[in-house]
Amino acid sequence: MANHRADEKRFLDDRGNSGPLAPNGLNPATIMEKPVVDRIIDCYFWKDQCFGVNEADIVSRVVDQVHFIGGTYGDSQKPSPFLCLAFKLLQLAPSDDILREYLDFGGEKFKYLRALACFYIRMTRQAKDVYRFLEPFLPDSRKLKQKRRTGTTLTYMDQFVDDLLTKDRVCATTLYKMPKREILEDLEVLEPRVSALGDIEDLLDGEDVQEVDPDAAREDDSDVEMSNREPADEREDERSPERASS
Amino acid sequence: MASKKGAYETTASDTDFRKKYDREEYAQRAKEREAKEREENKARYEAKLAGKKYYKPLTGDETLTQARASRLDVSQNVGKVTLMPAGAATGKRGRGAGFYCADCDLTFKDNLQWVEHENSMQHLRAIGQTGEVKRATADDVHERILQIWERLEEEKKQDVKTLGERLEVRKEEEDREREERRQKRLAVAERKRLEKEAELKVKQEYGEDVRVEGEHDEDDMMAMMGMKGFGSSKK
Ligand SMILES: [Zn+2]
Repeated sequence: MANHRADEKRFLDDRGNSGPLAPNGLNPATIMEKPVVDRIIDCYFWKDQCFGVNEADIVSRVVDQVHFIGGTYGDSQKPSPFLCLAFKLLQLAPSDDILREYLDFGGEKFKYLRALACFYIRMTRQAKDVYRFLEPFLPDSRKLKQKRRTGTTLTYMDQFVDDLLTKDRVCATTLYKMPKREILEDLEVLEPRVSALGDIEDLLDGEDVQEVDPDAAREDDSDVEMSNREPADEREDERSPERASS
Repeated sequence: MASKKGAYETTASDTDFRKKYDREEYAQRAKEREAKEREENKARYEAKLAGKKYYKPLTGDETLTQARASRLDVSQNVGKVTLMPAGAATGKRGRGAGFYCADCDLTFKDNLQWVEHENSMQHLRAIGQTGEVKRATADDVHERILQIWERLEEEKKQDVKTLGERLEVRKEEEDREREERRQKRLAVAERKRLEKEAELKVKQEYGEDVRVEGEHDEDDMMAMMGMKGFGSSKK
Protein backbone atom coordinates (compact mmCIF):
# COMPACT_ATOMS: atom_id res chain seq x y z
CA MET A 1 0.00 0.00 0.00
CA ALA A 2 1.11 3.51 -0.68
CA ASN A 3 2.93 5.48 1.98
CA HIS A 4 1.40 8.41 3.84
CA ARG A 5 2.55 11.95 3.37
CA ALA A 6 4.22 13.21 6.54
CA ASP A 7 2.21 16.43 6.49
CA GLU A 8 -1.39 17.34 5.71
CA LYS A 9 -0.90 19.42 2.56
CA ARG A 10 -1.90 16.87 -0.02
CA PHE A 11 -4.76 15.64 2.20
CA LEU A 12 -6.19 19.14 2.39
CA ASP A 13 -5.58 19.76 -1.31
CA ASP A 14 -8.08 16.97 -1.83
CA ARG A 15 -10.78 19.02 -0.13
CA GLY A 16 -13.43 19.52 -2.75
CA ASN A 17 -11.50 17.29 -5.13
CA SER A 18 -11.54 13.58 -5.56
CA GLY A 19 -9.78 12.32 -2.46
CA PRO A 20 -10.79 8.89 -1.22
CA LEU A 21 -14.05 9.04 0.71
CA ALA A 22 -14.71 7.63 4.17
CA PRO A 23 -16.87 4.47 4.41
CA ASN A 24 -19.89 6.65 5.23
CA GLY A 25 -19.42 8.54 1.98
CA LEU A 26 -18.12 11.74 3.55
CA ASN A 27 -14.92 13.48 2.49
CA PRO A 28 -12.56 13.06 5.46
CA ALA A 29 -10.92 16.40 4.74
CA THR A 30 -14.19 18.26 5.29
CA ILE A 31 -15.71 16.31 8.19
CA MET A 32 -14.29 18.80 10.69
CA GLU A 33 -15.28 22.38 10.09
CA LYS A 34 -12.77 24.56 8.27
CA PRO A 35 -12.13 27.04 11.11
CA VAL A 36 -11.39 24.09 13.41
CA VAL A 37 -9.10 22.47 10.84
CA ASP A 38 -7.29 25.79 10.41
CA ARG A 39 -6.74 26.01 14.16
CA ILE A 40 -5.43 22.45 14.22
CA ILE A 41 -2.91 22.78 11.41
CA ASP A 42 -1.70 26.12 12.78
CA CYS A 43 -1.01 24.87 16.30
CA TYR A 44 2.37 23.81 17.57
CA PHE A 45 1.19 20.40 18.77
CA TRP A 46 0.11 19.53 15.26
CA LYS A 47 3.37 20.59 13.65
CA ASP A 48 5.54 18.99 16.31
CA GLN A 49 3.67 15.85 17.36
CA CYS A 50 1.46 14.95 14.40
CA PHE A 51 4.04 15.28 11.64
CA GLY A 52 5.21 11.98 10.19
CA VAL A 53 2.92 10.02 12.47
CA ASN A 54 1.54 6.69 11.22
CA GLU A 55 -1.11 4.32 12.61
CA ALA A 56 1.27 2.83 15.19
CA ASP A 57 2.67 6.22 16.26
CA ILE A 58 -0.90 7.25 17.04
CA VAL A 59 -0.78 4.83 19.98
CA SER A 60 2.45 6.33 21.31
CA ARG A 61 1.11 9.85 20.96
CA VAL A 62 -2.15 9.06 22.73
CA VAL A 63 -0.36 7.39 25.63
CA ASP A 64 2.16 10.21 26.02
CA GLN A 65 0.12 13.27 25.10
CA VAL A 66 -3.61 12.71 25.54
CA HIS A 67 -4.79 13.25 29.10
CA PHE A 68 -8.27 14.58 28.38
CA ILE A 69 -10.90 14.53 25.66
CA GLY A 70 -12.28 17.68 24.10
CA GLY A 71 -12.42 19.87 21.04
CA THR A 72 -11.01 23.32 21.49
CA TYR A 73 -10.48 24.64 24.98
CA GLY A 74 -9.70 27.79 26.94
CA ASP A 75 -10.38 31.34 25.87
CA SER A 76 -7.96 30.98 22.98
CA GLN A 77 -9.91 27.93 21.72
CA LYS A 78 -6.76 25.88 21.54
CA PRO A 79 -7.32 22.56 19.76
CA SER A 80 -6.80 19.65 22.15
CA PRO A 81 -4.22 16.92 21.43
CA PHE A 82 -7.25 14.60 21.28
CA LEU A 83 -8.78 16.65 18.46
CA CYS A 84 -5.45 17.00 16.62
CA LEU A 85 -4.92 13.24 16.67
CA ALA A 86 -8.52 12.68 15.54
CA PHE A 87 -7.75 14.91 12.57
CA LYS A 88 -4.58 12.90 11.94
CA LEU A 89 -6.72 9.76 11.87
CA LEU A 90 -8.92 11.42 9.24
CA GLN A 91 -5.77 11.82 7.16
CA LEU A 92 -4.43 8.31 7.83
CA ALA A 93 -7.82 6.62 7.28
CA PRO A 94 -7.00 3.48 9.29
CA SER A 95 -8.72 0.23 8.33
CA ASP A 96 -11.26 -1.60 10.49
CA ASP A 97 -8.71 -4.14 11.74
CA ILE A 98 -6.48 -1.32 12.98
CA LEU A 99 -9.49 0.30 14.65
CA ARG A 100 -10.21 -3.01 16.38
CA GLU A 101 -6.69 -2.92 17.83
CA TYR A 102 -7.28 0.64 19.09
CA LEU A 103 -10.66 -0.28 20.58
CA ASP A 104 -9.99 -3.68 22.07
CA PHE A 105 -6.40 -4.69 22.72
CA GLY A 106 -5.25 -1.09 23.08
CA GLY A 107 -8.52 0.24 24.44
CA GLU A 108 -8.45 -2.09 27.44
CA LYS A 109 -5.10 -0.69 28.44
CA PHE A 110 -5.37 2.90 27.32
CA LYS A 111 -8.80 4.44 27.77
CA TYR A 112 -8.07 7.56 25.74
CA LEU A 113 -7.07 5.38 22.79
CA ARG A 114 -10.50 3.74 22.91
CA ALA A 115 -12.18 7.15 23.24
CA LEU A 116 -10.25 8.48 20.24
CA ALA A 117 -11.09 5.47 18.08
CA CYS A 118 -14.79 5.77 19.03
CA PHE A 119 -14.81 9.43 18.03
CA TYR A 120 -13.10 8.66 14.72
CA ILE A 121 -15.47 5.79 13.96
CA ARG A 122 -18.49 8.02 14.64
CA MET A 123 -17.14 10.52 12.10
CA THR A 124 -16.32 8.09 9.30
CA ARG A 125 -18.34 4.86 9.52
CA GLN A 126 -21.84 4.01 8.40
CA ALA A 127 -24.52 4.14 11.07
CA LYS A 128 -24.91 0.38 11.46
CA ASP A 129 -21.16 0.02 11.95
CA VAL A 130 -21.06 2.91 14.39
CA TYR A 131 -23.64 1.11 16.54
CA ARG A 132 -21.81 -2.18 16.24
CA PHE A 133 -18.39 -0.73 17.02
CA LEU A 134 -19.45 1.58 19.84
CA GLU A 135 -22.26 -0.11 21.76
CA PRO A 136 -20.01 -2.77 23.37
CA PHE A 137 -18.33 0.06 25.29
CA LEU A 138 -21.49 1.37 26.95
CA PRO A 139 -20.60 -0.68 30.06
CA ASP A 140 -17.10 0.90 30.18
CA SER A 141 -17.31 3.13 33.24
CA ARG A 142 -13.74 4.41 33.32
CA LYS A 143 -13.33 8.08 34.05
CA LEU A 144 -12.31 10.55 31.37
CA LYS A 145 -11.25 14.13 31.85
CA GLN A 146 -12.87 16.59 29.50
CA LYS A 147 -11.75 20.13 28.71
CA ARG A 148 -14.10 22.72 27.32
CA ARG A 149 -13.90 26.43 26.87
CA THR A 150 -15.12 26.89 30.43
CA GLY A 151 -12.82 24.44 32.17
CA THR A 152 -12.17 20.82 33.02
CA THR A 153 -14.94 18.40 33.94
CA LEU A 154 -15.15 14.71 34.63
CA THR A 155 -17.04 12.27 32.45
CA TYR A 156 -17.05 8.53 31.76
CA MET A 157 -16.41 6.34 28.76
CA ASP A 158 -20.03 5.15 28.69
CA GLN A 159 -21.24 8.76 28.81
CA PHE A 160 -18.87 9.73 25.99
CA VAL A 161 -19.97 6.79 23.84
CA ASP A 162 -23.58 7.64 24.59
CA ASP A 163 -22.92 11.23 23.53
CA LEU A 164 -21.44 9.98 20.28
CA LEU A 165 -24.53 7.86 19.63
CA THR A 166 -27.11 10.47 20.56
CA LYS A 167 -25.72 14.01 20.30
CA ASP A 168 -25.11 15.93 17.11
CA ARG A 169 -22.08 17.87 18.24
CA VAL A 170 -19.13 16.40 20.14
CA CYS A 171 -15.58 17.73 20.53
CA ALA A 172 -16.00 20.80 18.32
CA THR A 173 -17.30 18.58 15.52
CA THR A 174 -20.77 18.35 14.04
CA LEU A 175 -21.58 14.67 13.68
CA TYR A 176 -23.54 13.53 10.67
CA LYS A 177 -27.15 12.59 11.34
CA MET A 178 -27.44 8.88 12.02
CA PRO A 179 -30.76 7.07 11.77
CA LYS A 180 -32.02 5.95 15.16
CA ARG A 181 -31.22 2.40 16.13
CA GLU A 182 -34.85 1.20 15.98
CA ILE A 183 -35.16 2.41 12.40
CA LEU A 184 -32.17 0.28 11.48
CA GLU A 185 -33.79 -2.54 13.42
CA ASP A 186 -37.02 -2.10 11.47
CA LEU A 187 -35.02 -2.19 8.26
CA GLU A 188 -33.37 -5.33 9.64
CA VAL A 189 -29.95 -3.77 9.22
CA LEU A 190 -29.38 -4.19 12.93
CA GLU A 191 -30.64 -6.88 15.25
CA PRO A 192 -32.41 -5.70 18.40
CA ARG A 193 -30.18 -5.46 21.42
CA VAL A 194 -30.69 -7.85 24.31
CA SER A 195 -30.41 -5.96 27.53
CA ALA A 196 -26.98 -6.44 29.02
CA LEU A 197 -27.37 -4.16 31.97
CA GLY A 198 -31.02 -5.04 32.39
CA ASP A 199 -32.99 -3.60 35.25
CA ILE A 200 -30.26 -1.30 36.49
CA GLU A 201 -30.28 0.57 33.22
CA ASP A 202 -34.07 0.79 33.20
CA LEU A 203 -33.94 2.31 36.66
CA LEU A 204 -31.30 4.81 35.64
CA ASP A 205 -33.23 5.74 32.53
CA GLY A 206 -36.26 6.44 34.70
CA GLU A 207 -34.25 8.94 36.68
CA ASP A 208 -32.94 11.15 33.95
CA VAL A 209 -35.43 10.88 31.17
CA GLN A 210 -34.82 14.36 29.86
CA GLU A 211 -31.11 13.66 29.27
CA VAL A 212 -31.12 10.22 27.78
CA ASP A 213 -33.24 9.16 24.90
CA PRO A 214 -34.74 5.97 26.33
CA ASP A 215 -34.83 4.31 22.95
CA ALA A 216 -31.23 4.99 22.10
CA ALA A 217 -30.08 4.27 25.62
CA ARG A 218 -28.29 1.22 26.76
CA GLU A 219 -29.87 -2.00 25.94
CA ASP A 220 -27.67 -4.78 24.79
CA ASP A 221 -25.82 -4.69 21.53
CA SER A 222 -27.02 -6.94 18.81
CA ASP A 223 -23.60 -7.83 17.54
CA VAL A 224 -23.86 -11.45 16.50
CA GLU A 225 -20.57 -12.32 18.09
CA MET A 226 -21.60 -10.74 21.36
CA SER A 227 -25.09 -12.23 21.50
CA ASN A 228 -23.61 -15.71 21.49
CA ARG A 229 -22.11 -15.07 24.87
CA GLU A 230 -23.44 -16.41 28.12
CA PRO A 231 -25.48 -13.89 30.08
CA ALA A 232 -23.24 -14.55 33.07
CA ASP A 233 -20.30 -13.23 31.10
CA GLU A 234 -22.06 -10.05 30.40
CA ARG A 235 -22.94 -9.51 34.01
CA GLU A 236 -19.28 -9.78 34.78
CA ASP A 237 -18.44 -7.37 32.00
CA GLU A 238 -20.61 -4.86 33.69
CA ARG A 239 -18.26 -4.77 36.62
CA SER A 240 -15.01 -5.03 34.69
CA PRO A 241 -15.22 -3.07 31.49
CA GLU A 242 -11.70 -4.09 30.56
CA ARG A 243 -12.98 -7.52 29.78
CA ALA A 244 -15.93 -6.43 27.72
CA SER A 245 -13.89 -6.21 24.57
CA SER A 246 -11.45 -9.05 24.93
CA MET B 1 61.02 29.53 -17.20
CA ALA B 2 64.19 27.57 -16.80
CA SER B 3 65.30 29.88 -14.03
CA LYS B 4 62.19 29.04 -12.06
CA LYS B 5 63.10 25.42 -11.96
CA GLY B 6 64.71 24.51 -8.72
CA ALA B 7 67.50 22.12 -7.96
CA TYR B 8 65.15 19.22 -8.47
CA GLU B 9 64.24 19.61 -12.09
CA THR B 10 61.67 16.90 -12.05
CA THR B 11 59.55 18.66 -9.43
CA ALA B 12 58.50 21.41 -11.76
CA SER B 13 57.42 19.08 -14.51
CA ASP B 14 55.48 17.03 -11.96
CA THR B 15 53.66 20.16 -10.91
CA ASP B 16 53.01 21.09 -14.51
CA PHE B 17 51.54 17.73 -15.11
CA ARG B 18 49.29 17.89 -12.05
CA LYS B 19 48.09 21.36 -12.85
CA LYS B 20 47.15 20.29 -16.31
CA TYR B 21 45.33 17.30 -14.96
CA ASP B 22 43.43 19.43 -12.40
CA ARG B 23 42.51 21.92 -15.07
CA GLU B 24 41.03 19.20 -17.21
CA GLU B 25 39.13 17.74 -14.34
CA TYR B 26 37.82 21.10 -13.19
CA ALA B 27 36.74 21.93 -16.69
CA GLN B 28 34.94 18.65 -16.92
CA ARG B 29 33.27 19.18 -13.54
CA ALA B 30 32.28 22.74 -14.40
CA LYS B 31 30.72 21.48 -17.60
CA GLU B 32 28.72 18.89 -15.71
CA ARG B 33 27.68 21.41 -13.10
CA GLU B 34 26.55 23.87 -15.74
CA ALA B 35 24.55 21.20 -17.47
CA LYS B 36 22.98 20.20 -14.19
CA GLU B 37 22.19 23.78 -13.30
CA ARG B 38 20.66 24.35 -16.70
CA GLU B 39 18.55 21.27 -16.21
CA GLU B 40 17.59 22.35 -12.70
CA ASN B 41 16.71 25.85 -13.86
CA LYS B 42 14.58 24.37 -16.57
CA ALA B 43 12.80 22.12 -14.08
CA ARG B 44 12.45 25.03 -11.67
CA TYR B 45 10.97 27.16 -14.45
CA GLU B 46 8.60 24.42 -15.51
CA ALA B 47 7.51 23.88 -11.92
CA LYS B 48 6.86 27.58 -11.61
CA LEU B 49 4.78 27.60 -14.76
CA ALA B 50 2.76 24.73 -13.34
CA GLY B 51 2.31 26.67 -10.10
CA LYS B 52 4.32 24.15 -8.08
CA LYS B 53 7.35 24.41 -5.86
CA TYR B 54 10.58 22.96 -7.15
CA TYR B 55 12.66 20.46 -5.19
CA LYS B 56 15.82 18.68 -6.22
CA PRO B 57 15.02 15.38 -7.86
CA LEU B 58 15.23 12.35 -5.61
CA THR B 59 18.37 10.25 -5.98
CA GLY B 60 16.80 7.05 -4.67
CA ASP B 61 19.01 7.04 -1.56
CA GLU B 62 16.47 8.95 0.52
CA THR B 63 14.96 7.40 3.60
CA LEU B 64 11.34 7.59 4.67
CA THR B 65 10.32 10.27 7.11
CA GLN B 66 9.45 9.24 10.65
CA ALA B 67 7.56 10.82 13.47
CA ARG B 68 9.67 12.56 16.09
CA ALA B 69 10.73 10.25 18.87
CA SER B 70 10.00 13.00 21.38
CA ARG B 71 9.03 16.61 21.44
CA LEU B 72 11.20 18.78 19.25
CA ASP B 73 14.15 19.82 21.39
CA VAL B 74 14.07 23.54 21.89
CA SER B 75 16.03 23.39 25.13
CA GLN B 76 19.27 24.36 23.41
CA ASN B 77 17.66 27.70 22.69
CA VAL B 78 16.01 28.20 26.01
CA GLY B 79 17.09 31.26 27.93
CA LYS B 80 18.61 32.98 24.94
CA VAL B 81 17.42 36.42 24.05
CA THR B 82 16.50 36.34 20.40
CA LEU B 83 16.30 39.67 18.67
CA MET B 84 15.47 39.42 15.01
CA PRO B 85 14.84 42.12 12.45
CA ALA B 86 11.14 42.87 12.29
CA GLY B 87 10.97 41.86 8.64
CA ALA B 88 12.59 38.48 9.14
CA ALA B 89 9.52 36.38 8.48
CA THR B 90 11.28 33.16 7.52
CA GLY B 91 14.72 31.65 7.64
CA LYS B 92 17.79 33.81 7.55
CA ARG B 93 20.93 32.48 5.98
CA GLY B 94 23.73 31.61 8.34
CA ARG B 95 23.99 31.17 12.05
CA GLY B 96 22.31 33.91 14.00
CA ALA B 97 20.27 34.62 17.06
CA GLY B 98 17.33 32.23 17.27
CA PHE B 99 16.71 28.67 16.15
CA TYR B 100 19.46 27.39 13.89
CA CYS B 101 19.23 24.50 11.42
CA ALA B 102 22.72 23.18 10.81
CA ASP B 103 21.65 21.03 7.86
CA CYS B 104 20.35 23.99 5.90
CA ASP B 105 22.42 26.74 7.54
CA LEU B 106 19.33 28.78 8.31
CA THR B 107 18.20 30.61 11.44
CA PHE B 108 14.58 31.03 12.54
CA LYS B 109 13.18 33.51 14.97
CA ASP B 110 10.91 31.22 16.97
CA ASN B 111 10.16 27.56 17.59
CA LEU B 112 7.03 27.64 15.44
CA GLN B 113 9.00 28.78 12.40
CA TRP B 114 11.68 26.30 13.26
CA VAL B 115 9.34 23.31 13.42
CA GLU B 116 7.71 24.49 10.20
CA HIS B 117 11.13 24.42 8.61
CA GLU B 118 11.94 20.98 10.04
CA ASN B 119 8.72 19.77 8.40
CA SER B 120 9.38 21.52 5.09
CA MET B 121 10.26 19.65 1.94
CA GLN B 122 13.31 21.88 1.59
CA HIS B 123 14.68 20.60 4.90
CA LEU B 124 13.61 17.00 4.35
CA ARG B 125 15.46 16.92 1.03
CA ALA B 126 18.49 18.46 2.72
CA ILE B 127 18.62 15.58 5.19
CA GLY B 128 17.83 12.99 2.53
CA GLN B 129 14.25 12.16 3.35
CA THR B 130 11.30 11.73 1.06
CA GLY B 131 8.59 13.22 3.26
CA GLU B 132 6.73 9.92 2.99
CA VAL B 133 5.82 7.84 6.00
CA LYS B 134 5.57 4.07 6.11
CA ARG B 135 2.03 2.83 6.58
CA ALA B 136 1.57 0.66 9.66
CA THR B 137 -0.40 -2.60 9.59
CA ALA B 138 -2.76 -3.88 12.28
CA ASP B 139 0.08 -6.16 13.42
CA ASP B 140 2.40 -3.16 13.74
CA VAL B 141 -0.24 -1.42 15.81
CA HIS B 142 -0.72 -4.49 18.00
CA GLU B 143 3.03 -4.75 18.46
CA ARG B 144 3.30 -1.08 19.42
CA ILE B 145 0.53 -1.36 22.00
CA LEU B 146 2.26 -4.38 23.53
CA GLN B 147 5.62 -2.61 23.53
CA ILE B 148 4.26 0.49 25.28
CA TRP B 149 2.31 -1.60 27.76
CA GLU B 150 5.35 -3.67 28.67
CA ARG B 151 7.48 -0.57 29.01
CA LEU B 152 4.95 0.98 31.38
CA GLU B 153 4.66 -2.23 33.38
CA GLU B 154 8.44 -2.40 33.64
CA GLU B 155 8.57 1.21 34.82
CA LYS B 156 5.90 0.46 37.39
CA LYS B 157 7.92 -2.51 38.62
CA GLN B 158 11.00 -0.33 38.84
CA ASP B 159 9.00 2.19 40.82
CA VAL B 160 7.84 -0.47 43.25
CA LYS B 161 11.38 -1.74 43.50
CA THR B 162 12.79 1.68 44.19
CA LEU B 163 10.01 2.21 46.69
CA GLY B 164 11.02 -1.03 48.39
CA GLU B 165 14.63 0.05 48.27
CA ARG B 166 13.75 3.41 49.71
CA LEU B 167 11.87 1.78 52.57
CA GLU B 168 14.81 -0.50 53.24
CA VAL B 169 17.24 2.41 53.26
CA ARG B 170 14.96 4.32 55.60
CA LYS B 171 14.70 1.34 57.93
CA GLU B 172 18.48 1.07 58.02
CA GLU B 173 18.77 4.75 58.75
CA GLU B 174 16.25 4.52 61.53
CA ASP B 175 18.03 1.51 63.01
CA ARG B 176 21.29 3.39 62.92
CA GLU B 177 19.77 6.45 64.53
CA ARG B 178 18.17 4.32 67.20
CA GLU B 179 21.51 2.66 67.87
CA GLU B 180 23.22 6.07 68.05
CA ARG B 181 20.66 7.30 70.54
CA ARG B 182 21.11 4.13 72.57
CA GLN B 183 24.88 4.60 72.56
CA LYS B 184 24.46 8.22 73.61
CA ARG B 185 22.16 7.19 76.41
CA LEU B 186 24.64 4.56 77.51
CA ALA B 187 27.47 7.08 77.35
CA VAL B 188 25.52 9.53 79.50
CA ALA B 189 24.71 6.82 82.00
CA GLU B 190 28.32 5.72 82.06
CA ARG B 191 29.51 9.29 82.58
CA LYS B 192 27.09 9.74 85.42
CA ARG B 193 28.20 6.48 86.95
CA LEU B 194 31.84 7.52 86.68
CA GLU B 195 31.09 10.92 88.19
CA LYS B 196 29.30 9.27 91.04
CA GLU B 197 32.17 6.88 91.59
CA ALA B 198 34.63 9.75 91.50
CA GLU B 199 32.55 11.63 94.08
CA LEU B 200 32.43 8.62 96.29
CA LYS B 201 36.14 8.17 95.95
CA VAL B 202 36.77 11.81 96.93
CA LYS B 203 34.65 11.30 100.00
CA GLN B 204 36.47 8.15 100.85
CA GLU B 205 39.81 9.83 100.24
CA TYR B 206 38.73 12.74 102.37
CA GLY B 207 37.56 10.37 105.06
CA GLU B 208 40.58 8.21 105.01
CA ASP B 209 43.42 10.56 104.26
CA VAL B 210 42.52 14.16 104.97
CA ARG B 211 40.27 13.83 107.94
CA VAL B 212 42.19 13.58 111.12
CA GLU B 213 40.62 11.12 113.48
CA GLY B 214 38.56 12.80 116.23
CA GLU B 215 39.02 16.32 114.91
CA HIS B 216 35.45 16.89 113.87
CA ASP B 217 33.79 14.55 116.29
CA GLU B 218 32.24 17.29 118.33
CA ASP B 219 30.74 18.99 115.28
CA ASP B 220 29.42 15.68 114.07
CA MET B 221 27.83 15.01 117.39
CA MET B 222 26.18 18.43 117.45
CA ALA B 223 24.92 18.00 113.93
CA MET B 224 23.48 14.69 114.84
CA MET B 225 21.63 16.28 117.70
CA GLY B 226 20.28 19.03 115.43
CA MET B 227 22.41 21.76 116.87
CA LYS B 228 24.95 23.70 115.04
CA GLY B 229 26.62 27.04 114.92
CA PHE B 230 26.59 28.22 118.46
CA GLY B 231 29.35 30.49 117.46
CA SER B 232 32.96 30.20 117.95
CA SER B 233 32.83 32.00 121.25
CA LYS B 234 31.16 29.03 122.95
CA LYS B 235 33.68 26.67 121.65
ZN1 LIG C 1 16.87 22.54 7.70
